Amino acid sequence: MGKRDVQIFFLLFFWLGVFLFIMEGRGSAVNTPASRPLTRRSKSYGRSCVEAPSYFWQTPGHLTVLKVPTSRGAAKSQLITNKVDPEHIALLVKNEWKLSYVTPLHHFRHTQLKSYSRHLAAFIAAENQQGVAVEVGLEAGFKVTFTAVLGLAETDEDAETVFIQIQSKPAFAAAADAPKVVWRGWLTCVNGDPEYLRSLPSDFVSLPLFCTSGSESLTTLVKTWFERAFDCNFGSLALNSTTLNWLAALWTGCHPTCNIRHLKLAWSLPTQPPLDVSYTVNPQDAWELWNSIHPEESTDDKIDIKEVQSFINGLETHFFRHFKIYLSAGTLVKVSTALGSAHLDGKIKIGNSDYITTLLTLLTESALLKMPT
Amino acid sequence: MALLTPYSKVPELNTATVLLVENEEELQSKLANALVQYEKDFNVNVRLARKLPLPVENKETRPRIDLIVFLVNLLSERSLQSVESSLAHLHSDCFLGKVCFLVTDARCGSHTQERLVSVRKLAAAHQCPVLCAEHRTVDGVNAAAVRLLNILKVSAGMSPIATTALYLSSLTRCSVTSDLEED
Repeated sequence: MGKRDVQIFFLLFFWLGVFLFIMEGRGSAVNTPASRPLTRRSKSYGRSCVEAPSYFWQTPGHLTVLKVPTSRGAAKSQLITNKVDPEHIALLVKNEWKLSYVTPLHHFRHTQLKSYSRHLAAFIAAENQQGVAVEVGLEAGFKVTFTAVLGLAETDEDAETVFIQIQSKPAFAAAADAPKVVWRGWLTCVNGDPEYLRSLPSDFVSLPLFCTSGSESLTTLVKTWFERAFDCNFGSLALNSTTLNWLAALWTGCHPTCNIRHLKLAWSLPTQPPLDVSYTVNPQDAWELWNSIHPEESTDDKIDIKEVQSFINGLETHFFRHFKIYLSAGTLVKVSTALGSAHLDGKIKIGNSDYITTLLTLLTESALLKMPT
Repeated sequence: MALLTPYSKVPELNTATVLLVENEEELQSKLANALVQYEKDFNVNVRLARKLPLPVENKETRPRIDLIVFLVNLLSERSLQSVESSLAHLHSDCFLGKVCFLVTDARCGSHTQERLVSVRKLAAAHQCPVLCAEHRTVDGVNAAAVRLLNILKVSAGMSPIATTALYLSSLTRCSVTSDLEED
């Protein structure tokens, strides 16, 4: 007597009889329905939030498009000094930056940077004096410089990076003292999604990643000025734990070419009181683990998200074996190596300029994903 | 390997049994209390577990389980991992309307969005509904209990219209949009 596999077909009758299940052995499998009619809605760019969960039925929404990539190329070292002025690079490295995302800027011209600097300086002076009219061009206490950092953009659609510096003289300085830099910020777009960038109307320039370092009040002033001048919106960019996992894996993969000196992971576990775990891994051991998952000699240059996840799982299992604590019950808060560090709240530090493109690509992607349409 | 089967025991009169499986054990007891205290016209037995497989010792005394609810806390990766490993211990018959996923903290931050997508993909692969619940307030827990009771009524065969679990599952199963499926 052979086994009988009964496949159940779904028929939508309103009055249903009784279904008879005859199973001998565990043979039957529930089949996913064969093709659902695929209706392609018009693509809208950006990630809309998940549909209202309070209904039983889920209508397929037009949730699309900036898809989260599941595989990406390995981190490549680049002598970025070939393309970018080393002075500019020195400005970016060795500072802790706070991240935000920006919606596309309207009528932003890279040729008018000097006039933008004067306007911004006047705006800051005016805000400080609370509404007293200030003539554009008058020497105010603040000096603003907009510089274009050429060479960071990777593809043709990326706009060039713009670096902003605000300098001011300290209150009791002598006249000959050089002004000190009190605030720095830069807008950038590296390897942004080409379809999205092409879909923008021609007046808009997209520089989705905004990094700032300096006092909060100046940051808000700069943001307000940008919002008024270019009709854009700012928002804080908090990093995803997936992004941190990617950074840990990519940076570890760079170990043979550039010594990362350590792989430090900081976890936060939701206990009472919260437990902070700082997990430092020897770079050679981390690299061997990564190599066993994604062999260096493999010709395929793409790293899949599953390999990243098994790398993190390996680290977590090792920790569990020694301390009997499940790290996956907590959240990864900070990843740092000699190449840089990234914090969940959206703070990064760039240690080495060679791998800056990979880091910026990841950050541009998360900024584009976080941006509302 | 002993699998949990849905139809191997005789049902009791006017009673429905629901099994709440949760790794962290924080929402389970609150939800169980809300389920039991809510006013309804049939008896509800609630059984709690941390993960499947259920202990073999209780096999004889355990009543027939009408609905298995997996509670997933989206803030912890471990929650999702333990649910994935528990799913292997269910007989395939259970997926015809007897399994439901309940996720909490779906609105907290960006890292829960990706976990929510993976829970939805998992549920769509098994043809089960996904409910989102808010577990920090009493109202949220009560609302989740009411929705679970609605599903439980149908799974236990107590709905007055001749609706069975099978029919309900084809209406309530989680659908994943074609763009999400392309990954």
